[in-house]
Amino acid sequence: MAAANAGDVEVVDFDSDDDDLMDDDAPEVNPAPAAPRLRSTIAAGGDSAAARKTKGRGFREEPSSSRPLVGRTDFDSLGSDDGPGPLRSFSVCAAIEGWIILVTGVHEEAQEDDLHNAFREFGQVKNLHLNLDRRTGFVKGYALIEYESFDEAQAAIKAMDGTELVTQIINVDWAFSSGPVMRRNVRRRYVFVDVVKCIRLFICIEFLVRAK
Amino acid sequence: MARGGGEEEFYLRYYVGHKGQFGHEFLEFEFRPDGKLRYANNSNYRNDTMIRKEVFVSPTVLREARRIVEQSQVMKEDDRNWPVPDRDGKQELEIVMGNQHISFITSKIGSLINVQSSHDPEGLRIFYYLVQVLNPQTPCRALLF
Repeated sequence: MAAANAGDVEVVDFDSDDDDLMDDDAPEVNPAPAAPRLRSTIAAGGDSAAARKTKGRGFREEPSSSRPLVGRTDFDSLGSDDGPGPLRSFSVCAAIEGWIILVTGVHEEAQEDDLHNAFREFGQVKNLHLNLDRRTGFVKGYALIEYESFDEAQAAIKAMDGTELVTQIINVDWAFSSGPVMRRNVRRRYVFVDVVKCIRLFICIEFLVRAK
Repeated sequence: MARGGGEEEFYLRYYVGHKGQFGHEFLEFEFRPDGKLRYANNSNYRNDTMIRKEVFVSPTVLREARRIVEQSQVMKEDDRNWPVPDRDGKQELEIVMGNQHISFITSKIGSLINVQSSHDPEGLRIFYYLVQVLNPQTPCRALLF
């Protein structure tokens, strides 16, 4: 059995549409377009320049039962009904009630104190996790910071994103989101909101005009 | 799929588990291209139930995960000489990054001693540390305690 053929079959099985369709709760969540792209790229085989290079035992083996996530629909979907935007981490880990931001680009010799000092002005830092690379002992480059309120977290993001910390530029953003990374849909939602606002405005203006 | 200009496809899945006295005990997490992070943890030890959660992470998180994978250079490795899964269990690491798709399968790694005594200590060490850094349990636990 040719390894390449087995590899093609293996990958197609894994990225089946069944898996993607079944976990679509909100209408805008549709990773299915991604699946055909993966499949078609691989199904094209070695004769297509765009085909993926595959490597590993996973392509040579039969699909095993060790795919517990595939096809399951009974996942706790956290926050995906609420539309796009940041997600309060209470839903993610029940013991953590606050709002978690992710800081990336952290200098590898940065200390927890450096981060704490920089971020405490926006609110009380309830939690700070500076991930270490266990192999080198240096900072892995990212940190998670938790604030109690949305406003505090957002203020920290606005103020600190793109600024310098310990000689390196950091990026700050929300860790969790209520919706998928689909900018097309996000734009659509904003447009809808704007249209509604405009209509309300026009109605107000019309009333005012008629009242005169 | 509408993504930022020039951004490559990124997908990552990790599984570790074994079937034994307490049923199929496993941990699996998956970063999907649209930002959905799925996590499942199952143990039937003392009739524990399965934990299955999914949440969307921000694009920044995806970018950082991708950066960590790139930095580890795990995409250059190969599982050809890694220990095969055995009675103690199995690990799977599947990553899609741009036009590369790896799907590695190996046994459970108890400690660095297992890494050192294997036929590919360098590659296995990269795998070992990468998984530790990416596992969503790690920051969650740290924030909790």
